[in-house]
This record gives sequence, C-alpha cells and structure tokens, in this order.
Amino acid sequence: MEKVYIGVDVGSVSIKVVAIDNDNNILFRSYVRNVGQPIDIVKEELKKLHNELPDKEIGGVGVTGSGRQLIGYVLGADVVKNEITAHATATIYFHPDVSTIFEIGGQDSKLIIINDGTIADFAMNTVCAAGTGSFLDHQAQRLGIKIEEFGEIALTAKREVRIAGRCTVFAESDMISKQQYGFSKAEILKGLSKALVRNYMNNLVRGRKLRPVFVFQGGVAANIAIKKAFEEEIGHEVIVPKHYDIMGAIGIAMIAKEEVKRTGRPTKFKGFDVSGEKFETTTFICKACPNECEIIQIKANGKIIAMTGDRCGRYSNSVI
Amino acid sequence: MKIGIPKALMYYFYYPFWKTLFESLGFEVVTSDDTSKSILDIGVKEAVAEICLPMKVYTGHVLNLLEKGVDYIYVPRFVSLRKGIFMCPKFMGLPDMIKGLFDRIEDKILTHHIVSKTLDISEFHNYTIFIEKFGIGKKDLKKALAKAREEWLKFRRLNKEGYDINELLTSNKPQKYDGDITIGLLGYVYNVYDRFVNMDIFSVFRRLNIKVVTFDMMDEKVIYKNLRNFRKNMFWEFTNMLLGTAYEFMKRDDIDGIIHLTAFGCGPDSILEPFLTIDSEKNKKPFMTIRIDEQTGESHVITRVEAFTDLIRMKKYKAEEKAKGVV
Repeated sequence: MEKVYIGVDVGSVSIKVVAIDNDNNILFRSYVRNVGQPIDIVKEELKKLHNELPDKEIGGVGVTGSGRQLIGYVLGADVVKNEITAHATATIYFHPDVSTIFEIGGQDSKLIIINDGTIADFAMNTVCAAGTGSFLDHQAQRLGIKIEEFGEIALTAKREVRIAGRCTVFAESDMISKQQYGFSKAEILKGLSKALVRNYMNNLVRGRKLRPVFVFQGGVAANIAIKKAFEEEIGHEVIVPKHYDIMGAIGIAMIAKEEVKRTGRPTKFKGFDVSGEKFETTTFICKACPNECEIIQIKANGKIIAMTGDRCGRYSNSVI
Repeated sequence: MKIGIPKALMYYFYYPFWKTLFESLGFEVVTSDDTSKSILDIGVKEAVAEICLPMKVYTGHVLNLLEKGVDYIYVPRFVSLRKGIFMCPKFMGLPDMIKGLFDRIEDKILTHHIVSKTLDISEFHNYTIFIEKFGIGKKDLKKALAKAREEWLKFRRLNKEGYDINELLTSNKPQKYDGDITIGLLGYVYNVYDRFVNMDIFSVFRRLNIKVVTFDMMDEKVIYKNLRNFRKNMFWEFTNMLLGTAYEFMKRDDIDGIIHLTAFGCGPDSILEPFLTIDSEKNKKPFMTIRIDEQTGESHVITRVEAFTDLIRMKKYKAEEKAKGVV
C-alpha cells in the first residue's frame, strides 16, 4: 500500500491539514477557520482525508503551529515542531532559490532569511499583534467587506491616504477619522495595506539587507494589495507560492516523512479511530503555590490524556 | 534582628556576600519567596508605572518581605563597580523609589552607597553606616566583610568554572550541564536566573540538549580586554560586561549562537542591542533577541528557542557535510 504523510498546522485563526506522498505531491489539502475547537476540527478534517484517500497507509504525522503540543499529543504525531522550520522547509522545496520569506499569519508574522538552502536568520513579531491577519480581519469586518475581497477592492483606490500602522488601536482611530474626511473604502484599505507592510519592515526587517528571491506566504498572502505593497516597498517582484496558505502544513509533513525514514521506526499515529474518541477540555486553578496557574485538562472518552498550563510540571508530568 | 533581602536584581550576584556579612554580624537573614505570579502581579500594581520589568519585580519582592515581618529590608544603592563607570540610574535611585512608593516604610529600608573599584564590594568605607546604626565595632565589621568577601569569591570561582548561578544558590550539589551545541546567553543576572520571569529558559535549553554560557561564567579580565577596542565605554557597568562578553562569544568557535535575553523597558539594552545585531552578523554568529515582559507566554519562548536551535543544527550539519566532501 502506498504511504502518505500527514501535516497539520494548528494556527490561531485557521487549521491546515495536508497529505503528501513520497514525492511530496499534495494528495489532500484543507484550510478551515479555527473557531475555537481545534480537536473537533482536526478530527473532522482527518475523516475527510481518510474518505478521500481510503487505500493509503499513513507513514507519518507532523504537527506545527501555536496549538501543536495538544494536537500532536491527540494524534500521536511523529514530529511536533515550530512553524518557522516548517514554513522554511516547504518554501525551500518549492522555490530552491529563495532568499527571503515573508510569512504573515493570523496572530504573528515572521521573516525568514535563507542562505544556501538553510535558515540563516529569522525574526518574529515580539509582543504586538498589529499588522497580522486578525487585524485585517477585524478592520474588514468593521468596514463591512469580506476579507476575500479586501485586496481587489484596495487595488481600485484612486488616491493615497496614510494610515498610522504602528498600533492597532491608533490605526483604527486613524481610519475612522480618514473615513470621516471622505476617503473611500478602497483608499482606506490601500492605506491599511501599506501601513501593515511599513509596520512589518519596522518591526521585523529592522535594517536587514534583503535579497531576492522573495516569497510571500501565510493566510495574508491571499491579499493582493498587501503583495503589491510589499513589491512597492522593496522595489522587487514578490512571489506568492501556489500553496501559500498551507506551506506550514506541507513543511511539517515533509519533516515527518524525513523523521520516520531517518529513525526507521513505525509511525506513532494513533489511527483514524482517534476521530471517534470524545474529547473534553476543562480547566481549574491550581492553588498549590502563589503562581495560581490555570491548568488545562484534556480527557479522551473520560480518561485524562493531557494536562498543561502548569509552570512546575506538577500536572503535565503526571500524565505522560 | 531580621534583615530581609529581596530575591531580585543583584540578589543573583551578591547573595552569598550579603548572607555571610549579615549572619556574621549577628542578624537573621530572610529572603523573599521565589518570584511568582502573585509577586509579579503586586509588583506591577504598586511599582512606578513606566519602569522596566525587573524594577517591578523588585517592588513585588519588597512587599513580600514586608508581609514576612522583617525589621529591615536591605536596599543598597549601587553607584559604581568600576572607576568612572556607573550603574544604570534605576539602581542608583532604587532606595528612593522604594521609599517613595509606600507610606511609613522609610525606617525599614536599610541602605547605603556602594562605590567600588571592582565587582568585589567588600571595601570598608561603604559600610560605615552599620557602625553608626547598629553600634557594631569596627573590628567586627572588618572581619565580617573579609569573611563575606571570601564566601563571595568562592561562589564566583565556581561560577566561572561553568556552574550556573541558580545551581550555586539553590543546590547543595551543583551540577554542570553539557549539550551537543553551545549557546552564549547574554542578559543581566536578574533576567537570566529568575526562573519565573524568563519562563525557566534554562529548562528549555536542557530539554533541547543545549549547553549555556553566560557572562557571569566569564573572567572579568577577558571581558574587559574585549572592550579595549572601544573608544568609549557604555554608561553602565553590567551593559559593558555584556558587550565585552558578546565580543568574546563572537570570537569563540565553540559558541554556536548568541541569544540576548532582555526585559521590556530596559534602557541600557536599547543601546546594547544594535551593537549585538550588527556585529554578530559581521562575525557570522547566529543571533536572536528574546524579550520578556509581564504578560509573555511560555510558548513564544519555546518556539523561538526551538527555531533558533534548528537553524544552528542545520548550519552545523551542512558545514560537517561540506567538510566531509572536501576530504
């Protein structure tokens, strides 16, 4: 039976599931909004994957993204790895000559510098989430447009207007006042796109010398106005890869494949039956010390399978 | 009489000195508890609003000591630890800041200037207030200072042998930790060794099999040597030490990468950071900054350290492959 490798990227805003074969062909892909129940969503998507590829054997599973620990545990992942390595792995595969990766997701943005086919440097936004996908989402909603139409509408702008992009709160009040001065929705959106890129340059690039080839990926890469704003800022063409929105999932699937081959061990994947298990999450405040950690407890069919949130390991170590 | 020592700021560098000094003088030494959520919360609530995180943490520890019913809280005024070089102004104003924050605390704060030619703070002239205030004999004070100095030098010697400060302060049988890659960790002792504030970054390193080298493990002579090429010093002594250590790290082949651990709102570090960023690139050393703040989540530290180690391991692996190819 032919083997496939599953990659799951559990982001703050969306969840991506892919299956690749030995030659990195993408046999299954899904991108769904993370509405707050990542386990249920992953279960659902795995069911679909199984239905579409009933005669394939699962060779390995990798999980990345901010929710990677829990989902990795639930699925029995062979690899649980950070999103920077995952993204870079996929980009280097599809664009071997890449030097600079802009990745903008729901709650964080990254800059990855590639040299000779390996990561040479990276930066992530520090504390602030301004200039990421959820900010755009929120503003699109406020203006009453669909996020999918954001880019197209922004490109119809006739005039330039500058929106303060340093902080979400300021950006919002600036947008409102610019609207009141009579600038159109399209112009506001264009200003917003430029502000986001300016913010990215300030916070992440910070004077680094960027070299082509430039690749722009992550959910926000769907927005053509942002791509244009990047091109104007750096004065060079920017490539948006075909699978821009699932690069992290593809990368982690590739890493899982390598890992399984390298170790020669069979996959730890718990099987599609996991989708039949009933998961329940509860929390409580631990009173054992003044830290008062919020402990998150995950049960599968009534049995505790994972506990996290404690700083001392009192609970998280007791399960595994 | 009970003397309270806040487990914050210079505690991580001078506690062995202070403990020996006060105990030799017949005081009982009480420390505040380890930094915890409640100490941080109360510190953030009570401290001067626009100040850096370590000062907020310190404020929380002072309150924790007040709850413990000590007679005095020891808040020395660090002025200088090398001729012509000063401490960060926040250290110089610390006793006043603490006195200004709370009513009726003034009499409880035991403070005096520390003006020293070296990191060894045992010079007699700094401590004459103890004679006036507690009626301690000159001879006894000198003896206590000599004993404290000896203890501190012992601590520093072990520290420089590669034992990290938390091992030395908390463990009866200190251990050294090894790893398959080595990271130079740049940061002030109160950020690097406060396990709560930095989300126990040492345990993250250990899990990833990384050996850590810090500035306190370096010989001062080596640090100062690296600073000689500079026309000017940094204004603050420990910033100088981090800079000197950074250049040593950049030169050393056994250091695979450098991480700068900095607290939100640190003024001196905002001047240090560009030197580190620009010169580590020039010297081709992987470099990363981790910024810690009161609301920082653990996962962000793990993600960054993980990605950074992946980068270093891949680089190393590639270099090894290349070397094999040549042979």
